[in-house]
Amino acid sequence: MPSGALLFQSVILGLLLGGLYALLAAGLTLYFGIMRVVMIAHSAFLILAAYLAWWSHTELGVDPLLSMVVTVPLFFAAGVLLQRLLLARLRPVTLTMMSVLLTFAIAVVIEGLLGYVFSGTQRRIQLGYGSASLELFGARIAVVKLIAFGLAAVALLSLYLVMKKTAFGWALRATIQHRDAARLVGIDTDRVAGFGFGLGLATAAIGGTALSLDTTIYPSLHWHWIGPLMAIIVVGGLGSVPGAAAAAMVLGLAQSLLQIELGTTWAQTVFYIALFLTLAVRPQGFFGGRLAQRF
Amino acid sequence: MRSLETVELTKAFGGNVVLDKTTVSFRHGKVNALIGPNGSGKTTFFNCVTGMIRPDSGRVLYGGADITRRAPHAIARAGIGRTFQLCRVFPRMTVLDNVLAAARPANLFRGARGRAEVDRARGWLTKLGIEHLAGAEARNLSWGQQKLLELAGVLMSEPETVLLDEPAGGVNPALLDRIGGLVRELNAEGRTFVIVEHNMDLVMSISDHIVVFDRGRPIAEGPPAAIRSDERVLGAYLGV
Amino acid sequence: MPSVSERLVTPGRAAGGVALVAFAAVALAYPSIAPNPYLLSVGIVVLNYAVLSTSWNFVGGFTGYISLGHGALAGLGAYGTGLLVTKGGLPSFGALVVAALLVAALAVPIGYAALRVRGASFVIVSIALVLVTLLVFQSWASFTGGSRGLNVPRPFPGMLRPEHHRVFFYLFLALLAVALLVWWLIDRSRFGLGLKAIREDEDKAEALGTPTFAYKLVVFVVSAFFTGLAGGLYALWFGDLDPIFQFSILTGSYMVLMALLGGVRNLFGPLVGALVVGVALEYFKVEFGNTPLHLVATGVLLALVVLFMPDGVLPALGSLLRRLDRTTDSSIREVTAAELAAQRIGGEQHAQSRNG
Repeated sequence: MPSGALLFQSVILGLLLGGLYALLAAGLTLYFGIMRVVMIAHSAFLILAAYLAWWSHTELGVDPLLSMVVTVPLFFAAGVLLQRLLLARLRPVTLTMMSVLLTFAIAVVIEGLLGYVFSGTQRRIQLGYGSASLELFGARIAVVKLIAFGLAAVALLSLYLVMKKTAFGWALRATIQHRDAARLVGIDTDRVAGFGFGLGLATAAIGGTALSLDTTIYPSLHWHWIGPLMAIIVVGGLGSVPGAAAAAMVLGLAQSLLQIELGTTWAQTVFYIALFLTLAVRPQGFFGGRLAQRF
Repeated sequence: MRSLETVELTKAFGGNVVLDKTTVSFRHGKVNALIGPNGSGKTTFFNCVTGMIRPDSGRVLYGGADITRRAPHAIARAGIGRTFQLCRVFPRMTVLDNVLAAARPANLFRGARGRAEVDRARGWLTKLGIEHLAGAEARNLSWGQQKLLELAGVLMSEPETVLLDEPAGGVNPALLDRIGGLVRELNAEGRTFVIVEHNMDLVMSISDHIVVFDRGRPIAEGPPAAIRSDERVLGAYLGV
Repeated sequence: MPSVSERLVTPGRAAGGVALVAFAAVALAYPSIAPNPYLLSVGIVVLNYAVLSTSWNFVGGFTGYISLGHGALAGLGAYGTGLLVTKGGLPSFGALVVAALLVAALAVPIGYAALRVRGASFVIVSIALVLVTLLVFQSWASFTGGSRGLNVPRPFPGMLRPEHHRVFFYLFLALLAVALLVWWLIDRSRFGLGLKAIREDEDKAEALGTPTFAYKLVVFVVSAFFTGLAGGLYALWFGDLDPIFQFSILTGSYMVLMALLGGVRNLFGPLVGALVVGVALEYFKVEFGNTPLHLVATGVLLALVVLFMPDGVLPALGSLLRRLDRTTDSSIREVTAAELAAQRIGGEQHAQSRNG
């Protein structure tokens, strides 16, 4: 039996990790809601953002957090272009399958380019505050992890506010729920869908920056993220953002606790087991209702 | 007596109750029509009956047997065939293969073009007047021809009861007459029909029994003459 | 009465037949004409790709469900064979068959989870399968050898390398022939018609009485069996397994790329795709080594096919040819129609002149 302090620390770390998962899964859920697209390249963009943060720190000497000034708008634009120029071209009948292949192809291209430009060497940001940590009831929590969680939480909250409180969010929700009806009430759904993708990819920029603070990065790292993220959106119920957030927290916590006994690699299998069981027992997911009904 | 009936069938999408404890029974061996204003739940009703959508509660009975939770293919095999509101055919298969795909194969691993099946399929194509198109890809057919093809496919699956979802939608008057005549003819051979349709001339001329839906529940039923003069029906359509 | 066009030998069919005979002749003679063992081994690698993409096409081609995880099924076949030989003491080819059957058996629960709902979840499961198998086979080092790899003893210990290659070349060729034969049999069966109906419109197929879930599951298991066989045969030939390569997401994407490139609706589409992509892959490996640009090229190619030629390059070329054909065809018909009109007018004038 692990000690109370270790257990407590794992719970905290699990929740912090779950926060980042929740942000990233929210992005994936957004794409799925808008176009029924499983966006495999989401985590590749995540790693790309992490690389850009690392690069701006080592080459330009600025704080990695500052890189977001560039990456967030850049990724937003990339998301809009991705939707308008590539995904919108696919035939609706085969959209689900072909969009997976297309976004998969994009992920592979990003991985290859990262490997070409930055080489396959593992990279890590060395920050002045990188080794600082807080002590809380015997648990040691690295400050960078708290910053990362804070970033994720703020981003998720802003996403929520954009969706709930703005006219654009209203149009986006309407588009997700019933595209034809949304068009009938005068919403330019193509435009809204493009911006929705931009919004989703912008969250990847923030997530990637948060990730770069305390993680060693390498080009193929995105595969370690897309698996758990796909599991999360299925367990949460495809298309449900609160469902994805809840599943992210539960699975992040489970992963963190299992690490104590099993080590990091085996603990990751919890995502795949959860994915398999969900599809076998309850394909509509455990936390969400019908597709994209709520936000 | 294998009649189709529903008992308190209920389906809601979110807060929007589309079918509200709908209890209906259709006349076996007759041409039944299901009419009602847009959004009154007719297509959802079809989808629940054929298993494409799971109702929240209530039952669907066919010949006394409960078929509510059965898979769509099992319901089809129980003898209920259907067409779709926006005509659906297999676009990149030939017309003949479209019909053959509906045959109930006794042996799955035999050739798809067994003589008996092909003869039967061509028989239906001939009956519907599109035999000359047998080798064409379905997506190259006109809308009206696709509607006929869809019907040929359904008939190939030998249903006792045929649910037609807007057979007259987007169809020219000549074809409309032909479809009406076909329904009567097939009915005379013993098939039961349930038809969702907006074209009142067609409904009044071919049906024996009409059920009127409003907001997910039946508000009136009876022979055409009675329905035509029913005030509730007028009210439902005019929104009074 | 079967349609006339089926019985008729069209020029397209004749060309296809000639191409098939030519391919078979070249393939059978290849071990004798290959100038060196290296090129023979390239031939084996390409044949392996051809078997893999043909096996993939049982699911992808018939049902339209795209799997990115077939690489994992091949890897399981390879490791299954290797482990049954080294730990189970089974004879090599017995182990191969048992391993493929195990992969097929494993495909039942995987398919159950992945195929009950439409579309998206199948792709998700297929990718997850690669990731989880890589994780397990790397971490479970005591059983699988982990990252150190697994050595599979050769089935013919005394055989020299060129001879070994030659035997395996024919084994892969035989496996390819069997896979193609089974695909062809399904294609023309009623089962195949049902599967194609699923690809076209799954709801519609279901409404016509096709038990779509059962159909999809059966064909997925068949596909897994052949994929497992290909993986196992590769293990016996290559003799050295590493999880990184066996459970690589790239293997699965190569299969998709090959099948899509050649055309998933055609029996020989994946084979042609494998010839093109397989040869290109080997060529680039020799010219440029293993660079990250491999990934870029694969990704760009895949994206181009998906965006511009989702039906495959060959079918796109075919329809282009047909369109050229049709333009000459219809111009002829227009001429005859014009002639008919001229005749009719002439006739009417004739009649009028008689009346007047």
